[in-house]
Amino acid sequence: MTTLLQQIANGIALGATIGLIALGYTMVYGIIQLINFAHGEVFMVGAFGGLAVHRWLLPEAWQGDWYISLPLMIVGGVVVAVTIALIMERFAYRPLRNAPRLAPLITALGVSIVLQEAIRIWFPNAESAQAYPKAFIDAQVDLGPVSISASKLLIIVVSVALSVGLQLYVTKSRMGRAMRATAQDRDTARLMGVNPDRVIVLTFLIGAALAGVAGVLYGVDITNVDNAIGFQNGIFAFTAAVLGGIGSLRGAVIGAFIIGLIKTLGGQYMPGGTQYDYVWIFVVLIFVLVFRPQGLFGEAERVRA
Amino acid sequence: MTTTTATVRSRPRITLAPTLAKPLAAAGGVLAVIAALLPWTTFVLFDNDEVNPSLQYFDAPFALSGYRLHTMLLGLAVLVVAFVPRIPGRARAQRALGFGIAAIGLISLIFLSYNGGGVGTVTAADGDAAFGAVVALVAGVLVVLSAIAAGITDIPDFPTRLPRLAAYGALVLAFAAILFLVAETLTAGGRSGVSNPYAGPTFLAFLGMAGGVLGALSGVGVVRWISALSERHRAFSIIILVLCALSLPLTSAGNAYWMTVATTIGVYAATAIGLNVVVGLAGLLDLGYVAFMGVGAFVAANLSGAATSKLGIELPFPVAALIAAILAGIVGAIVGSPTLRVRGDYLAIVTLAFGEIFTRSAQNDIGGLTGGSNAIPRIPDVELGGTAFNEEIQVGGLELPGGVLYYFMIVLVVGAVMAVFANLKNSRAGRAWIAIREDEDAARAMGIRTGKAKIMAFLVGATLAGLAGAIFAHKLTIASFDSFKFLESVTLLAAVILGGMGTIPGAVLGASLLFVLPEKLREFDDYRLLLFGLALILIMRFRPQGLVPDRVRRAELAGETATGKSIDEEEALVVEQEHDGPTGKKGGTA
Amino acid sequence: MTADPIAAGAPVLHAQDVTMVFGGLVALNKVSLTLEQGQVAGLIGPNGAGKTTFFNCLTGLYTPTSGRVLLNGARLAGDPAKVTIAGVARTFQNIRLFPNMTVLENVLVGRHSRMKQDPVSTLLRLPAFHRGERAAKERARELLAFVGLTRAEDEVARNLPYGDQRRLEIARALATDPSVLLLDEPTAGMNPQETEATRQLILRIRETGVSVVVIEHDIKFIFGLCDKVSVLVQGELLVEGTPEVVRADPRVIEAYLGKPPEEIEADARTAAEEHDKGEQA
Ligand SMILES: Nc1ncnc2c1ncn2[C@@H]1O[C@H](COP(=O)(O)OP(=O)(O)OP(=O)(O)O)[C@@H](O)[C@H]1O
Ligand SMILES: [Mg+2]
Repeated sequence: MTTLLQQIANGIALGATIGLIALGYTMVYGIIQLINFAHGEVFMVGAFGGLAVHRWLLPEAWQGDWYISLPLMIVGGVVVAVTIALIMERFAYRPLRNAPRLAPLITALGVSIVLQEAIRIWFPNAESAQAYPKAFIDAQVDLGPVSISASKLLIIVVSVALSVGLQLYVTKSRMGRAMRATAQDRDTARLMGVNPDRVIVLTFLIGAALAGVAGVLYGVDITNVDNAIGFQNGIFAFTAAVLGGIGSLRGAVIGAFIIGLIKTLGGQYMPGGTQYDYVWIFVVLIFVLVFRPQGLFGEAERVRA
Repeated sequence: MTTTTATVRSRPRITLAPTLAKPLAAAGGVLAVIAALLPWTTFVLFDNDEVNPSLQYFDAPFALSGYRLHTMLLGLAVLVVAFVPRIPGRARAQRALGFGIAAIGLISLIFLSYNGGGVGTVTAADGDAAFGAVVALVAGVLVVLSAIAAGITDIPDFPTRLPRLAAYGALVLAFAAILFLVAETLTAGGRSGVSNPYAGPTFLAFLGMAGGVLGALSGVGVVRWISALSERHRAFSIIILVLCALSLPLTSAGNAYWMTVATTIGVYAATAIGLNVVVGLAGLLDLGYVAFMGVGAFVAANLSGAATSKLGIELPFPVAALIAAILAGIVGAIVGSPTLRVRGDYLAIVTLAFGEIFTRSAQNDIGGLTGGSNAIPRIPDVELGGTAFNEEIQVGGLELPGGVLYYFMIVLVVGAVMAVFANLKNSRAGRAWIAIREDEDAARAMGIRTGKAKIMAFLVGATLAGLAGAIFAHKLTIASFDSFKFLESVTLLAAVILGGMGTIPGAVLGASLLFVLPEKLREFDDYRLLLFGLALILIMRFRPQGLVPDRVRRAELAGETATGKSIDEEEALVVEQEHDGPTGKKGGTA
Repeated sequence: MTADPIAAGAPVLHAQDVTMVFGGLVALNKVSLTLEQGQVAGLIGPNGAGKTTFFNCLTGLYTPTSGRVLLNGARLAGDPAKVTIAGVARTFQNIRLFPNMTVLENVLVGRHSRMKQDPVSTLLRLPAFHRGERAAKERARELLAFVGLTRAEDEVARNLPYGDQRRLEIARALATDPSVLLLDEPTAGMNPQETEATRQLILRIRETGVSVVVIEHDIKFIFGLCDKVSVLVQGELLVEGTPEVVRADPRVIEAYLGKPPEEIEADARTAAEEHDKGEQA
C-alpha cells in the first residue's frame, strides 16, 4: 500500500514535469499544426542553461543559497530555452509555413538532432551526464505514509500554478483570445486584425519558457542531466499532449499526469519492471489513438467535403 | 494563387546585364585553370606528409591529379559551354559548373586553413604565397554570376522516341558512366582514417566536382532525357543497371573494404525503397520503419543457427530470409493497422511508438530472441556450393575480392526490389496509394478501400525491409538492437526525402549518400550527426523535393508547375507585371 | 447506350427520412427523395440548407443519424467505397481531384473498383496485367473524349483551368460505372458558355442511362435541365415536383425572401458567385 502511494506520488511529480513540456507541444500544434519534435530539446537546453548559470555566472558565495541561485538558474534556463525556440521558429519553421506538412516535421527532427549534438559537442564535458546542483531544500516531506522530496513537491506546485496561469491567460487576455482565434482559423483571424506571426512567436515563447522552467526544476530534482533527457521526456510529453487531445491545455496537463502514473506504476507492477515502463506508455498511446484519435479532450476531426 | 501572390515578399534578386555574361564566364574559366596551376598551401601541414609538398608549389604541369585536375577540367568546361554556339540551357550548365568550382575552392579553403592554423595557410605566410583555393573560389563565383547575367532558362527537352538501338546505346553509355562515377566516388580520397588526413576533403571536393558535372548535364537536359529514355525502356534499363552494378568489383572499388561498404549501402537502399512505398507512394509517414528491418535481421539470425540463438534451428539462407521477410511483413501489417483509424501526424507517432517498443524489447532480450545488449553474434556466413559469401573467389581468370558474393546478392535483391516498386507504382494498387496520398476522402469516393490499401502499403514496405534485414544480419554476422534505433529510422526517411520521394533513383541515391558519407568522413565523426541534422533542415528549406524529384512530388513539394518553373520564378513574373503599371496585368494566374 | 425503356420509371435511388444532426444542429430533418431510372433531379436551396450534407449521407461519407438509403431496393452501406462500388458516384462542391496525378491517371483511379489485377501478374507484368491496363485506359480515354478533355490527357490535374477540373471530376465519377451520379454544384464558377456545355453534358449522361442528381444555386439552370426539383430549406424538404410546380409554389417564393421568380434567379446567381469567390480564396 505504501509502495503504491509512494509510486503515485512519484508519478505525479514526473507528470508535473512532463505537463510543462506538453503544454508547449499542444499550443504549437494547436496553432500551426506542427509536431514540434524539437520541443523536448528546448527543455533539455533549458536545463543546461540553468546549469551554465550556476557554473559560470553565480558567485561562489551565492551558490549555497537556493533562494538566490534557483531563481537565477530558472531565469537562465528560460532565457536560453526561449532564445533557441525563437531562433528555430524564425529560421527553420517560418520559411516552411506554407510547405507541405511533411517538410516542417522533418525540419523539426533535424533541429532536434542539431540541438542534442550541439550540447554534446560544445557544452564542456557534456559527452557524459553532468551533475546538477541541488539548488533547493534537500529534504523529504512526509505526507502521511508517503515521503516525497521537497524538490518534487516544488515541481508539482510550480507546474500546477503555471498551468492554471496559462489557462487563465489564454481564456481571459487579449493576446490569449488572439491565440485561440488563430488556432481556429488563421485567415479569418488575420482579417480580424490579429497578426498571426506575432501570435505564433508568442506561442513558441510561452511554450519554451515553460519548458525552460521544467528543465531547471527537473535537473535540480534528478541532480544530473545529459543531452538525451530532451528526447525521452519530449516523447513522453508529446504522448501526453496527444492523450489529452492535442490543442487542449487542460488535456495536456491531465494527459501528463496519466503518463507519469503509467510510467511509475507500470515500472512497479507490470512484468518486466522498469525496463519496460517506457513500453506501457506507448501501448497506452496507441490504444488511445486507435480508439479515441482525438484524445481525451480533443475535438473530432471534421471530414471536409 | 491569387491570394498568395499579393502577400509573398519578392526575394531580392541579383540582376546583371546580359552583356556581362561572356566576359564573366571567360574570366571565371581562365581563373579556374590558373587556380589549378597555383600552389594551394604555404607550408607542409602534416608530418610525414607525402601529398602535401605538391600542394605547396606547382612542379609538374602534366601530372595534375585530384581536385586540381578537377578544377582545371571544370574551368575548361566552363569555357566550352560559354563559347560553343547554340548550347541549350547554357546558363543552368554554367551555374552548376560554377558551383562545382566554388565548392572545390571552398572545401579546400576551409580544410587547409583549419588544419594549417589560419588563413595564412592558403594566402601568404613566411614569404610563401599560395592562392590556389582562393582563386578557385573566386572563379566559381564569377562563373555563377555569369550564369545569372545570362539568365536562367528552362531545361530543354530532347526527343525520346528514338530507334530502339540508338536508345539502348544511349542508355548503356549513361549507365556505364554512372558505374564509373560510383566507383570513383566510393574510392575518392581513399579509405578514410588516421593514415590519410586528406580522405575527407578530397572526397568532398570530388563530390563538388561530380555535383557540378551532373548539374551541368541536367541543365542542358541530358539527365532528363536519359531518365525519360529509361522510363520508356524500363525493362532494358533495369537489366543494364543491374549488369553495371555487378561489374563494380572490376573497377577501382574492387576490394573487400569497398565491397562491404557497397553491400551496406545496398541493404539500406533496398530498405529505403520499401519505405518509399509507404511514405512516397501512400503518403503515410513512418517514423519507426527500421524496426521491420530489425525484425528481419533477428528472425534470420535465429533461424540460421547462430551460436547464441535459443532456437537452435539452422535453415538454409533463402528459406530463413523468406521467413524473415514474411514475418516482417506481418508485423508491418499489424503496425499499419491503426491507419484504419488514425491519420496524418498521429499515424507518424503511432509508428514511432511501435518502433520504440521494438527497440526497447530487443534491448531487453524479449523472449530470449534478441540477445539484449549482447546481441546475437556469430551468425554463420551464407554459403553456396561450399563457398562462404565472404571469401575471395575466382571466376575464370578473374580474382574477385572477399565479400563480393554478398555484394552480388544485394545487387540482385535491390534490382528485384526496384522492379517490385516500379511495377507496383504503375498499377491499380500504386494508383490507389497515390490517390490516398493526394486526397483520402476522394479516394474512398472512387471505390478504393483505403484501409486495406494502406495496410497493404505497410505490408509491402515491411516485407522488403525484412528481406534487407536478413541479408544485413548475415553480412555483419551479428544482429544487435543497436542497429535499429530511432535515428536509423530518421536516416532512412531522410534518405527517401533527400533522394526524392516516390522515385527509385532517389531512394538509392539518398541511401548511398547518407550511408557512405559517414564512412568517408571519419575524421569528422564527432560532427557527423550535427551535420546530418543541419542537412535535414537545409534540404527542407531549399530543396524539399529532393535530388531526383518525382514529376508528381516535385509539383507538390516545391510548388513547381508542370512546365518546370518554380513558383518563385512565376511570382517574380507576377511581381514584374504588377510593377509594369496600369498596362501590366494585375494579380496572379488563378 | 440509351435508356432501357422497360427500366425507365423504376425507382433507382430512394432516400427515406434521412436525418443528420451535428451536435445541436439539425442539418437534415427527415429528408426523402426518390430518383427514377433515367431522371435528372435538381436539389436547390439557400446556403447552409444541407444539400451537400444530404449528398454526404447518400454516399456514406456521413452516417445519417436516422433514415436509410436504398439503391435498386437494396440498402446502401455506410462506407463511401462500398457505396461507389454499389453504383453511386459523386463530384465534390470544392473540387477534390488528385491534384498531382495526370488527367488520365485521375480517371484510371475511377476505374479502380471495376478492374481486377492480381499481385502476381502485376509484379511479373504478365499478359493479363497488360490486358487489364489496356482496357482500363481505353475506357478512361473514352470518358475523357465524352467530357471533351482528350487533349489534356497528360496534363497534371492541378494545372487544368477551373472548368476543365469540374469536367474531369465528372469523367472520373463516370469511370466508376455508376447507375446514379451526384453532382454538387457542377457549374459553380463557370461562365455562361461553360454552363451551357455542362447542361448538354448532363443531358448526354442521362442518355447513357445514368440517373443524375444535381445541386445548383443557378435556378435557371436547374429549371432548364431537370425532370424534377426538390427544394431544401434549413434541413427541411420544402417542396418537390416538376420545375413548373416548384417555380409557382408560394412557399418557394417565400423562402427566397418573397421575391418574384426572376429576381430569385438573379439573386441566386450572385449569391452563388460570391459563394464561389469565398471558396476559391
Ligand atoms: N461535419 C459537420 N459538422 C458540423 N456541422 C456541419 C458538418 N457538415 C455540415 N455542417 C453544417 O450543416 C449545415 C448544412 O451544410 P451544407 O454544407 O450541407 O449546406 P449546403 O446546402 O451544401 O450549402 P452551400 O450551398 O453553401 O453548399 C451547415 O450549417 C453546416 O455548417
Ligand atoms: Mg454545399
